[in-house]
Amino acid sequence: MEGLFEFLFKYRPVLFQEGEVVLGTTWPIGILVGGVALLGIAAVVTYGVTGGKARPVERTVLATLRLAALGVLTFALLQPTLVISSVVPQRNFVGILLDDSRSMNLPGEDGAPRRAWMEATFGPEGSELIDALSERFALRFFRFSAQTGRVDGIGELGFQGTRTDLAGALTRAHEELASVPLSGLVLVSDGAENGAQPLSEAIIPLQAASVPVYSVGLGAEALVPDIQVSRVEVPGTVMKGTAMLVDVVVTQRGLAGRTVRVLVEDGPRIVTEEEVELGADGEPTVVRIPLTLEEVGPRNLRFRIPVLDGEAVPENNARERLVDVTDQTEKILYFEGEPRWEMKFLRRAVEDDENLQVVVLQRTAPDKFQRYEVDDGEELLGGFPRTREELFRYRGLILGSVEASFFTRDQLQMLSDFVGDRGGGLLFLGGRNAFAEGGYAGTAVEDVMPFYLEEPAPDARAAFQSVSVSPTPAGQSHPVGQLGGGSWDDLPPLSTLNRVVRLKPGATALLTGTAGEEERIVLAHHRFGRGKALGLPVQDTWMWQMHADIAVDDPRHEVLWRQLLRWLVDGVPDPVSVRLGRERVEPGESVELSATVMDSAYIGLNDARVTALVTHPSGAVTEQSLAWSVEEDGEYGGSFLPREPGTHGVVVRAERAGGLIGEASTILQVGPSQEEYFDAGRRTPLLRRLAEDTGGRFYTPASVSNLPEDLRFTGAGVTLTEERDLWDMPIVLILILGLLGAEWGYRRLRGMV
Amino acid sequence: MRLPVSTAFALAAVTLAGALVAGVSIRSSERPGEVRDPWSPSAVGEALVRVVTLALPVPTPLEGQEPTPELDPRALLREAGDNDTGSGRYWEFYFTRAIYSEYQGGWGWGRRARWATDYPKADHQFLIVLNRLIAIDAYGGENAVRLDDPEIRRFPFLYALEVSRMNLTEGEVQGLRDYLDAGGFLVIDDFWGERALQNLAYQLNRVLPGRSIRPVPMDHAIFNTVYALDEIQQVPNVGNGRRGGPTTECWGCEPMVFGVFDDRDRLMVVINWNTDLGDAWEWAEDPWYPLQYSTFAYKMGVNMVAYAMSH
Repeated sequence: MEGLFEFLFKYRPVLFQEGEVVLGTTWPIGILVGGVALLGIAAVVTYGVTGGKARPVERTVLATLRLAALGVLTFALLQPTLVISSVVPQRNFVGILLDDSRSMNLPGEDGAPRRAWMEATFGPEGSELIDALSERFALRFFRFSAQTGRVDGIGELGFQGTRTDLAGALTRAHEELASVPLSGLVLVSDGAENGAQPLSEAIIPLQAASVPVYSVGLGAEALVPDIQVSRVEVPGTVMKGTAMLVDVVVTQRGLAGRTVRVLVEDGPRIVTEEEVELGADGEPTVVRIPLTLEEVGPRNLRFRIPVLDGEAVPENNARERLVDVTDQTEKILYFEGEPRWEMKFLRRAVEDDENLQVVVLQRTAPDKFQRYEVDDGEELLGGFPRTREELFRYRGLILGSVEASFFTRDQLQMLSDFVGDRGGGLLFLGGRNAFAEGGYAGTAVEDVMPFYLEEPAPDARAAFQSVSVSPTPAGQSHPVGQLGGGSWDDLPPLSTLNRVVRLKPGATALLTGTAGEEERIVLAHHRFGRGKALGLPVQDTWMWQMHADIAVDDPRHEVLWRQLLRWLVDGVPDPVSVRLGRERVEPGESVELSATVMDSAYIGLNDARVTALVTHPSGAVTEQSLAWSVEEDGEYGGSFLPREPGTHGVVVRAERAGGLIGEASTILQVGPSQEEYFDAGRRTPLLRRLAEDTGGRFYTPASVSNLPEDLRFTGAGVTLTEERDLWDMPIVLILILGLLGAEWGYRRLRGMV
Repeated sequence: MRLPVSTAFALAAVTLAGALVAGVSIRSSERPGEVRDPWSPSAVGEALVRVVTLALPVPTPLEGQEPTPELDPRALLREAGDNDTGSGRYWEFYFTRAIYSEYQGGWGWGRRARWATDYPKADHQFLIVLNRLIAIDAYGGENAVRLDDPEIRRFPFLYALEVSRMNLTEGEVQGLRDYLDAGGFLVIDDFWGERALQNLAYQLNRVLPGRSIRPVPMDHAIFNTVYALDEIQQVPNVGNGRRGGPTTECWGCEPMVFGVFDDRDRLMVVINWNTDLGDAWEWAEDPWYPLQYSTFAYKMGVNMVAYAMSH
């Protein structure tokens, strides 16, 4: 199509895009318009008044054809000219960025490695492309993968880079060539971007400086047949013994309908495995794998699909994830406003779980409390906590059947802050004094709940409803919905005194129930500030332990509560917490380190002395100070440069006035990345968008021969203005001859000649 | 027990004579391992009472008598009044009385089964006070359920008394075993003497084989859950209490609280032996019944409920 255009219009479309069409005649425009108008009128009059047997329609057609021919002729006489800016030869620079990553060893469209075309084109033997470019531009070569650097020739490329950082490459090349007239950057890559910096941020300076990027895409868009572990969703920290569901996303091409095994390995040991039938080509298949980790400490889990025969990229069949398995006891406060069976059976359900300590404060009469599982005689001696420090030392809170009026206004706000500021988990249980029936509407605590409160029932006992419970789709894919592999179908109905039917925006229902004709929410959750809130508006989950239909050794009640409470406190922050920018880097790659430091009331501290002690695999320990970020209270940041491959331990210590506020630890895996082999097909959309957003063009090896000419007319760099005649475009002659021929033919057809 | 005192003495005299004629030996082994003088005054008195008990037509478990098939607890419930507890879950707590089978025969008062002793007034009165002492959502009416009724699993607190003639059917054994293993809590009350204790031990061994009956120490949570109790009082029946007479119903019987514990050392069954908490609840409003016994009985009752609902 582009060739046809060029034949008709003399030049390629890009020249018309970059240039401007002007009329080159020196005649006054008024005279020209007048002359053309006179000719037109004369033609119309001639056809109109001439006698003969021609009908009006025929005269109209003939007059139109004649006028059109006159119009084209007039256009040619006006000397149309294409004005374009063209670079001054050898006065401008072009940066050529060559992908030096491992993925260039993968097969291209012709079966040869992708780098083969690059080596042939930019190699020492030279090529037409290089010759054409060199004719007009000074060329500067760069290689890029995780880092970018200047090279003199392609011989310096090893194609062993473990990352493709397009943004970094463009930024670096632009910066290096900022002081010279730059006509554009030529990016030769498969586009398998996996750098840390967003590409959109990197192109803004290029747009501002009007530097176009010309991208040359290498490789096939799809590698067939191939299967890859695209993504693994697993928490970074998990309590020992917690049953979790890990989502493994598998994508494939050319293997639709096959059944494969997904193995989960911890070192040489296979922890578990799951079979999955693959979906249609290109469609991701989510494999949900139940997983329980019992060994404490950092575990490097490998999720692997055994390599299939003939796979294009065997290296993308496995992904590794680092999971820190903790063995600390999570303390949860359960405040119950009255003696209830739910409390007894909840305690029994989790008593064997060494990682959960459910401290119970139970009101047995006004201002009289019973305490269970307290650490010492002082704990909760005065009843429900009255200070943030006292409440915030718990990581989870369960609120039973206790009316809102029991709490002071400050305590209600404190409950809200427990979730919002402290980041704790709050579970609301149903009961005669819970939710709307407990008078929580309009309080600070209502905001925390994951659902809206309805009008309270005038008589809670009359609001009694039996509820048959089942998991929602979200619940089925949640650890709480698994029941340790047990079924929900044969569980007896529960009961509720609290009508809850409307979720808040952003909340998710995991369990619902049918109460008569109405669907009730049985378990829902949402994020609130730094923490999460759960609502369970039923009053007797203990029936799933005691009911006659439930076998005495049925574990579902215990499993439900253990999962629920472990999830409640999962991810609850300590006063000092630490985060890494990335959990896996390459040796020599900088790691961002940030820490949050709060006091016991969870108010950010800005005057703490925060240090990070990094234990390297060799055993060496380095110390790194973290500075207050200024932007947010209690936020500290810094970075360090790991040089050794292996697992690095990072411990952050926060001190103030000589006293220790707290410590937090995390781990960092340092080693070569396999990212290059994932999604390794040519990413045409990304390369095309990159080019178009900067004013450049996208090419393949087949179309790249146009690049030198396109570069000439970008307008970037040192340019001069060229004027090119358009009156002699073939289209002009074709139109004039065509129109006149059509007129003659029409006359012949109508018998007028 | 509401056996008239005169009748009891008459029975004692008759049966003592009969026993002596028949050559019944007098042994003293009230507590295992305890060595006592068999001819001391207390031992003799105790033995007399024991002989009375032995002479009563209560068969030993080995005799294998059939439970009373003609006993219709529902008829008794209808007699006692409305027992409609709806779905069983309109209220958090039901004071649930165990209906159990017992040995056939008896001494005339057997027309009313022993499980229903003090029923339902004791239940009502206990619930009235319970509702006032602690913030509990308790159903104020009686609630009696057979041990072999699956409905019993809806009520994790169970009260049984006068178990000296208890003789559980296999269905009741299974029902009570599942109930206790699932997390239910059983309170035994108002049974006196070693033989009654032996019968209970035999029945409980059928229900929970391998679990022993052990004394509950005074520092156990059940004595401190709501009220701190520092001694176990012997609570007399209404007759003895009104008269100000001896609190015991058997010679030299001391009150004790035994328990059956689960694998985590939690109480599954609490056994109030040689005491009658039920009569103290039932007659608490009687001006002639000493308040101190009712006070203790209610404290113990509240503690048992609070313990059952928390452990």
